[in-house]
Amino acid sequence: MNINTLKENRRLLYEYRYELDKIEKGYSNKSLYINLSDNKISSMPVTDMMKEKFIGGKGFGLWYLWNAVKPETKWTDPDNAIVIASGPVGGITQYPGAGKSLVVTISPLTGIPIDSNVGGYFGPLLKFSGWDALEIQGKAEKDVVVFIDGNNGIIRIEEAPLEAIDAHVLGEQLTEMYADSEEDKRNIAVVTAGTAAENTLIGLLNFTFYDVRRKVTRLKQAGRGGIGTVFRDKKIKALVVKFSGVKGNLNNPADQAKINRTGLRLHREIKRFDDEQCRMRQVGTANIIEVMDEYDLLPVHNYKFGRHPDTHKIASNVFRDKFLTQGKPDGCWYGCSLSCAKAADYFELKTGPYKGDKVTVDGPEYETAAGVGANCGIFDPEYVLECNFYCDTYGIDTISFATITAFLMECYENGIINKDITGGLELTFGNQNAAMDLLHQMSRGERFGKLAGLGIRKLKKIFVEEYGADKDFLEDIGMEQKGLEYSEYLPKESLAQQGGYGLTNKGPQHDEAWLIFMDMVNNQLPSFEDKAEALHYFPMFRTWFGLMGLCKLPWNDIVPASNFSSDEPAKIPEHVQNYVDLYNGMTGNNISKEELIIQSERVYNFQRIFNIRMGHGKRENDRVPYRSVGPVTVEEYESRKDRYDTQLKEKLNIESTGKSTEEKVKILRSYREDQYEQLINAVYKRRGWTMDGIPTIEKLKEIKMDLPKLIEVVEKHL
Amino acid sequence: MLKVLNKIVERCIGCHQCEEICSQAYFKEKNIEKASLRVTEIVDSNNVLITCTQCGECIDICPVEAIYRDDRAIIRIKKEICVGCLMCVGFCNEKAMFQHDDLTEPFKCIACGLCARKCPSGAIYVEELK
Amino acid sequence: MILINGKEHEWSQELTIQRILDIKRYTFPKIIVKVNGNLIAKHEYAETLIHDGDEVQIIHLLAGG
Repeated sequence: MNINTLKENRRLLYEYRYELDKIEKGYSNKSLYINLSDNKISSMPVTDMMKEKFIGGKGFGLWYLWNAVKPETKWTDPDNAIVIASGPVGGITQYPGAGKSLVVTISPLTGIPIDSNVGGYFGPLLKFSGWDALEIQGKAEKDVVVFIDGNNGIIRIEEAPLEAIDAHVLGEQLTEMYADSEEDKRNIAVVTAGTAAENTLIGLLNFTFYDVRRKVTRLKQAGRGGIGTVFRDKKIKALVVKFSGVKGNLNNPADQAKINRTGLRLHREIKRFDDEQCRMRQVGTANIIEVMDEYDLLPVHNYKFGRHPDTHKIASNVFRDKFLTQGKPDGCWYGCSLSCAKAADYFELKTGPYKGDKVTVDGPEYETAAGVGANCGIFDPEYVLECNFYCDTYGIDTISFATITAFLMECYENGIINKDITGGLELTFGNQNAAMDLLHQMSRGERFGKLAGLGIRKLKKIFVEEYGADKDFLEDIGMEQKGLEYSEYLPKESLAQQGGYGLTNKGPQHDEAWLIFMDMVNNQLPSFEDKAEALHYFPMFRTWFGLMGLCKLPWNDIVPASNFSSDEPAKIPEHVQNYVDLYNGMTGNNISKEELIIQSERVYNFQRIFNIRMGHGKRENDRVPYRSVGPVTVEEYESRKDRYDTQLKEKLNIESTGKSTEEKVKILRSYREDQYEQLINAVYKRRGWTMDGIPTIEKLKEIKMDLPKLIEVVEKHL
Repeated sequence: MLKVLNKIVERCIGCHQCEEICSQAYFKEKNIEKASLRVTEIVDSNNVLITCTQCGECIDICPVEAIYRDDRAIIRIKKEICVGCLMCVGFCNEKAMFQHDDLTEPFKCIACGLCARKCPSGAIYVEELK
Repeated sequence: MILINGKEHEWSQELTIQRILDIKRYTFPKIIVKVNGNLIAKHEYAETLIHDGDEVQIIHLLAGG
C-alpha cells in the first residue's frame, strides 16, 4: 500500500511536546506515561529511590506496573500497563549486547507479571529521546500508532486504520513512512504485534531495527507471556521512536574510558575465540541444537525423549550452509560483535498469505528449532524457518506455539482429541502441514487455531470438561506452569533444572536459571544445598541483565582464556567483573560483585511479592507437571530403562527384576516428587523465604527492600 | 591506485618521530597514542611496527557502513555516521585501527606519507600498488 | 576404576582424555579438563593417558540461551 495513502488516513488524536535533555550517567531521569483511554500524555520523574531499589529495565517495569494495577486487575482491564524500559547501561555502543529493552505487563496466560528481554533499537532510542521508560495504560477506541520524535521533542497518538498488522509488513511501512531518507531508516525503531496476537493469548511484541546492508527491517521478539495480546487488546498497532545522532557517549557515563576498555576487551575475545567456541557469529543460538541431542537433552515429542535420529537434518551446520547469510554484522544493537541475530535471506515462503514472497527470516533461535522442530517431531529446516517467519510476523511466541502444538500432538496420538475436534487437522508428531495450518488459523482467528491459542492451562481444562479427558494424565503431560508454557529444554533428569524452571517468578522460562549441564553432566551440584546455592546465585545474577538493558549471551556464550584456571568457571568471573565495571563506569557508583547480586535480589523479591499480591505467588504455584520431573508413561521409562533402573537401585536399593514397568514408574515418581519438594525447601531457605515461599521481613530488611507496600503483602502470609 | 604504508622493521630505531608527526598533523598534539601507526620497542629484537595494510576487512565489520574504500583505494571512516562501537578496532587483524578515550570515533592511517618522509632510517615508506 | 565428574567409570589401558570424550560423546567445545586437579590443555587431550584411580573433571561451560 502506498505510504502516502496510509499517511492521509491518519487522524491525530493528541500531540505532546517536551524539552530535550541530556542523559546523565545512563539515566534521562524521566519516564513517559501515556493513557490511551483519554489520550493523556505526561512525564513522570525517575526518583533516587527508583534508581537505588529498582535500577532500571524490568525493575522500573515492575515498579510502574505495581502502581498501575490492583490485586484483582485482569490483563484485559484498562489499568493493565505495558512498560518498556532500557536500563542505565543500555544504549552504550562499545560492549556487546547493550541494546536490550525490558517489557513488563500482566500476562494473559498467567495473570501475574511477565517480563521479557528483547533486542532491536527501541529501548536505547527511547532513552536517547529522553525517556528511561514508557508506560502505557488504557485502551484506544480504534487502532493507533504512537510516534515519539526524539530529536524534536514531539509525541503523537494517531489513529492508523490502513497500516498492516503483521510485523514484517508494518515494520517496513512505518520505517519507510517516518524516515527522511534511506540513511535515516536506521534511526527508526518500531514495536508491533501481529494478527495472531489478536486471536490468541500467546501474542508477542516485535522490536525492529533497520539492517543497512540488507535494506530490510529486522525483527527481534519480546516473546514470552502474551504481551502482544495485551498490546492488541489496547488497540495499539505500533509504537515508533525516531532518534538520529547515536554516538558512543550519549549516556554521558562517569567513566567513558572504563567502558571503552571493557568493550574493546570483549571484542578482541570474541574475535579470538568465537569460531572455536559457540560460533555465535555464524549460527547464533542454533549452535546448541546438535549439542542438546548429543547429550540426550533435546525435547522430542512433547518432552518425552531427549534425542532423535533425524536431528542432524536441523543441526546448526545445515542452517549455516544452506540458509543463513554469513559475514554480515548481525548485532541487534550497535557494537554487538557476538552478532548472533542471524537471518535467512530471500527465503521463499511456501504457505499462507505471503506464499511466494522471498523474505528475510530472523532466526532460527535454538528455542524455535528445538520447539517447533524436534519437540513436535518435525525435522525439516525449511519448515522451521517458515514457521519461525510466520510466528514472528503474526506476532506469536514460537516457544508457546511449539510447546502447545507438541501437547496437542500427544493428545491427538492418545485419542484425547481427534479430527472432528481439530476441524480436520491431523496433529500427529511430525505432521508439519497440520502444524503450519494451525499457525495460519491462529492468524485468521479460526476454529481450532483460536482454541489452541488459549494455551495449555486452558486447553487441559477444556479437554477434561468437554471431551472427558483424564485430568491427571493431562496435568502430567501438559508442559505449562503458572500458566506459561515451558521453554525448550528437557529438565527431566536434572533436579536443579526442575527447580530452575519451577521456581522462576514469571513461569518456566530459562532466563533465570540454566543448570542442566552443571547438574547432569558436570555433576557440580550433588547436594540439595549445592543446588539451592545455584538456584540462588544464577537467577539473581541473570536477573541483573534485565535491570541494565543488557543481553545475557555475551556473559557466557563466549568464554575468556582466564576462565580455564578459574575456581568457579560457571560464573565466568572475568565477565562478571566486566559488568561491574560497566555499571560503575556508567553511574559513578562503586558496587562490588556481591552488591550486584543484592541489586537483583531486591527486584527479584519484589516480583515474588507482586505475584503473592496477585494471588499466585506461593508454594502451591511452584508445583510442576510430572513430565518435567520424570517419565510419565511406560514408553518414556523404557526409552531410558537403564538410567532409571540404575537410579532405583542406587538411590532406593530397589531391584528392577520382577517388577513391571508400571510399578517402576510409580516408585520412581514417588521418589522424584519427594526430591522436588526437598529441593524447594532448600531453595526457599537459601532465598530467605518461608516454607510456603513467602519472603520474610528479615530478608527484606537484609536487602533493604522493607518497603511498607511489600511488608503489607507478606505480613498476611507469614 | 592503492597506496599503502609499508615497513622494514629491521631499520626501525624507535625514535617515534613518525608517531609524533602523525598525531601532530591530525590531532594537533605530539601524542603517540593518537598516532595512526604504532612503534613498540623490543629489547634484543626488531621493533614491532603496526601499520594499516588497507586490507579493507573492517568494512564488513562496521554495523553502520561508516568504513569505505575511497577513490584512491584508501580505507577511510565517515565520522558522522560512526557510532563508536569499536568493533573495527577489536577486529582489525593488524591492530591498526586505533581508538583514544578523548575521541568518539576510531582513527587510522590514510597513507598520506608524512611519517615516511620523517623517518630517518627508511623503516617506513609509502608504496603504490596497482 | 576412575572417577569422571565424581561418578565411577571403568578404566582400561591406553585410556586417553580424547578416548573418554569419545566414549561419553562429549562433543561440546567449551570444556575444561582437569586430571587430579591439573588443567590439561586442549592440544594435549589425545596424548594424555589416564591412570587407574585418577579423578577426571570435564567441566562443560554451557549455560543455554
